[in-house]
Amino acid sequence: MSRGALALLVALALFAALVLWPGLMTPLLRLVAEPGQALLYDRQPIRVLVAWHLALVGAAGVVASVVGMTLGVLVTRPRGAEFMTLARMASNLGQTFPPIAVLAVAVPLLGFGFEPTFLALCAYGLLPVFENTVAGLRGVPAPVREAARGMGLACSARLWRVELPLAAPVILTGLRLSTVVNIGTATIGSTVGAVGLGEVIIAGLQSGNTAFVLQGALLVALMAICADLALRGLERRMSRAG
Amino acid sequence: MIRVTGLTKRFDGATAVNSLDFEVERGEVLALVGTSGCGKSTTLRMLNRLIEPDEGRIEIDGRDAREVSPDALRRGIGYVIQGVGLFPHWTVAQNIGTVPRLLRWDRGRVRARVEELLDLFGLEASEYADKYPSELSGGQQQRVGVARAMAAEPAMLLMDEPFGALDPVTRGRLQDEFTAIRQRRGITAILVTHDMDEAFRLADRIAVMDAGRILQIDTPERLLRGPREGFVRQFVGLDDRALRILSLHRVSELSRPAADAPAPAQWVAPGDTLREAASRLIWEAGDSLAVVENGRVTAEIHAADIWRIGARGEA
Repeated sequence: MSRGALALLVALALFAALVLWPGLMTPLLRLVAEPGQALLYDRQPIRVLVAWHLALVGAAGVVASVVGMTLGVLVTRPRGAEFMTLARMASNLGQTFPPIAVLAVAVPLLGFGFEPTFLALCAYGLLPVFENTVAGLRGVPAPVREAARGMGLACSARLWRVELPLAAPVILTGLRLSTVVNIGTATIGSTVGAVGLGEVIIAGLQSGNTAFVLQGALLVALMAICADLALRGLERRMSRAG
Repeated sequence: MIRVTGLTKRFDGATAVNSLDFEVERGEVLALVGTSGCGKSTTLRMLNRLIEPDEGRIEIDGRDAREVSPDALRRGIGYVIQGVGLFPHWTVAQNIGTVPRLLRWDRGRVRARVEELLDLFGLEASEYADKYPSELSGGQQQRVGVARAMAAEPAMLLMDEPFGALDPVTRGRLQDEFTAIRQRRGITAILVTHDMDEAFRLADRIAVMDAGRILQIDTPERLLRGPREGFVRQFVGLDDRALRILSLHRVSELSRPAADAPAPAQWVAPGDTLREAASRLIWEAGDSLAVVENGRVTAEIHAADIWRIGARGEA
């Protein structure tokens, strides 16, 4: 087994253990807690929070990837080249506009909970996928593209069978960055009532309970590390095939 | 047969290719030579419609190239480029099988063709078929590139500086291989190169281009003996034309009978060029050389005969 796979296995095992048996963290949490305070968040089971957190990041990730990759493919086609600036501006806006501001704008329109957070994460996750799709497709060597055209591969075959497979490792890097960033960013959704691990941190901040903050932060960090390792492994496998 | 008439291309008002006419017979190799920007690559890329001509007509085996879709046209024309452009994520076998698969050949036929071509280019199928391009040397990659272009038995090959990126030794070897494969298979090809030696070595006829026009189109020997005034004369290079003419002829053309004997220290083979024979004669300061086949003298060649071939007025 490679070192990457081993690290992923260890991180996943640790994460699963802390989700299923939150009590394992008590010795650590006791170090930061004030006497008499509760150590473990118990208003919702941790596994429910984790499931919602994953659902939120996953759904936003799917939308950001589909939109980002589609845009990236479109603007690298000869006919879509003129939309490059526009698409780049739109995806940059999604990244520079702080997610918390998106929430503030979205709540009056969409209400509290899952929806505004989902929207903010979609916008925030778009840029890395879009930029890496463009970079990956542009990175396909010119002679390869010329040969594909000169041999009579149709437009769609050139995209699906040559350009996208060669760009895949770079696109996947974008997807990984987007996912990892969004796992952290999703915590702010709890300020507008989205169910997720942010709830533990926010509850800790509101009641001055450092143990809660630490518990929530540790779980989010571990989740991000797991996602990072898993997607890195996939990238390595893809570039090896290439 | 390929017939081109009045082929013209303008880019932003500047004429890159100016009303070209030429024909290439089946089994013939035509070289387009000239300096960078003379329009030779543009001409080549118009033949498979990677660039659409502004004017003119291209006929391939009597059929107007505009009658078929560009993709269908390209599948019937082999294309070899300087950067090779092998698909790095496909194995050698998959690369060579690209066009046959596009033409929906059945799997067994594609595999048989791939093995046949690997064999033709001296690459052991069991060793190379499943390798990726990055595992091959530059010369091997270029061989696979040519094999890929020939895979679907195209009516012609278009070759744009096919051996340009290789070191001189590998380039020479591939040029020899290409000539040998031509003799066995009969290849119709249009070759773009800026290397006059490559054109002399590979082509049956050479078209010298400048500023979008063909200045002269002739066999290598006629080009050397009678280059037109101006650019052609300068580009063909007349300093060593006698030697270049000699390199177009083989020893077997001038062999005279000789008594059977074991091979002496200095000799030539019937397939060697007269240039090689001349070089050896000069080195030995002799006036004849033994022609040796399978270790026995079969004929001899005289210096005077060679000098006569290299002199003006012959042809």
